[in-house]
Amino acid sequence: MNTEQLIGDLSRDVPAVPRHALGRRIGVGIVAGGCVTLLLVAAVLGVRPDLDAEMRGFSFWMKWTYTTSLGIGAVIAVMRLARPTPVALNSLWLLAIPVLLLSGIGIGELAGTPSRDWVVMWLGASWKACPWLVLALSMPIFIGLLWSFRRLAPTRLRAAGAAAGLAAGAWAATLYCLHCPEVSAIFVLTWYSLGIALAGAFGALVGPRLLRW
Amino acid sequence: MQTGEDQLRTWMTAGLDGDAAAHEALLRALVPLLAAFYRRRLRGAEHDVEDLVQETLIAIHTRRASYDRDRPFTAWLYAVARYRLIDHFRRQRMTVAIEDVEAILVTEGFEDASSARMDVDTLLATLSPKQARAIRDTHVDGLSVAEAASGAGIGESDVKVSVHRGLRALAARIRGERV
Repeated sequence: MNTEQLIGDLSRDVPAVPRHALGRRIGVGIVAGGCVTLLLVAAVLGVRPDLDAEMRGFSFWMKWTYTTSLGIGAVIAVMRLARPTPVALNSLWLLAIPVLLLSGIGIGELAGTPSRDWVVMWLGASWKACPWLVLALSMPIFIGLLWSFRRLAPTRLRAAGAAAGLAAGAWAATLYCLHCPEVSAIFVLTWYSLGIALAGAFGALVGPRLLRW
Repeated sequence: MQTGEDQLRTWMTAGLDGDAAAHEALLRALVPLLAAFYRRRLRGAEHDVEDLVQETLIAIHTRRASYDRDRPFTAWLYAVARYRLIDHFRRQRMTVAIEDVEAILVTEGFEDASSARMDVDTLLATLSPKQARAIRDTHVDGLSVAEAASGAGIGESDVKVSVHRGLRALAARIRGERV
């Protein structure tokens, strides 16, 4: 095909692109994937029966604050990496803040608990399943983000994949909170973070292959 | 003639607002820019240059949501072009010498550099060939007077005199044009 003809074809279909199209597209990808994840949590795992009472307690909001702040930070990174122009990622160290805060709460908890109960508190009842469930639940959101990227132009594919994985993991963990009965900060700090990190590592692994354009 | 940042950005913004004619004008104006960009880096693979130009036009069209209206258009354009080139190398499993990576990565100001080079060429063309060569050797390519002299097969003093007279003639011409 010659270039003239190509330009003619491309110019036949020129839909308007609103100013915040990039953010909107990433938002749509996450929300669409999140709906599937939410459905899976509700249908397969089941929402915890005492959610109502739990939502008035401290540990639920601690978990949510932790996962949503990681989620927001990761989405900001995704938005930056979705443009082809070079980006500064040094503000990513802000993601350490929720981790440090939760560590602080965790240390406080340990100090107030007799040391023979520490292991029980740390492992909870679901430590074996939790990271894998978070990883599995992140997949619909990750797929949603892959869809978002189809109209965007990431050039650092591994970094973009990792950021997308982290975002998917953090939002999946947020929804997993609706099911998860665990209450201790060190449980969340270890096993939730592990699940989110696994999702990030998965993204970094497949990013160069799946985000190529 | 290559189109400047301001015009390209105006067309791009109008295209984002749904103006098909502006979008078409933009794509048309990008063809020579992109062809020059790829030709410089592929050295003679003319068929690849055309393919890359077309692929880049398609990418610019389908991925235009990734352009931030508040930022320079050419920076975005060459970031897309550079990615397409690196992907091209990857597909060809071609290895690139490390010096060339530098040339691929450093594209900011590419347009300025190429139009400055065109200005120099136009000005030097108005001089005698001997003066033009002497100035190009010593002031553009950075040779020493001795190297320029042996390269052109003339004496060192001849080079110095040619440079001196040539620069004076150019200065007079530029002043004459500007006044």
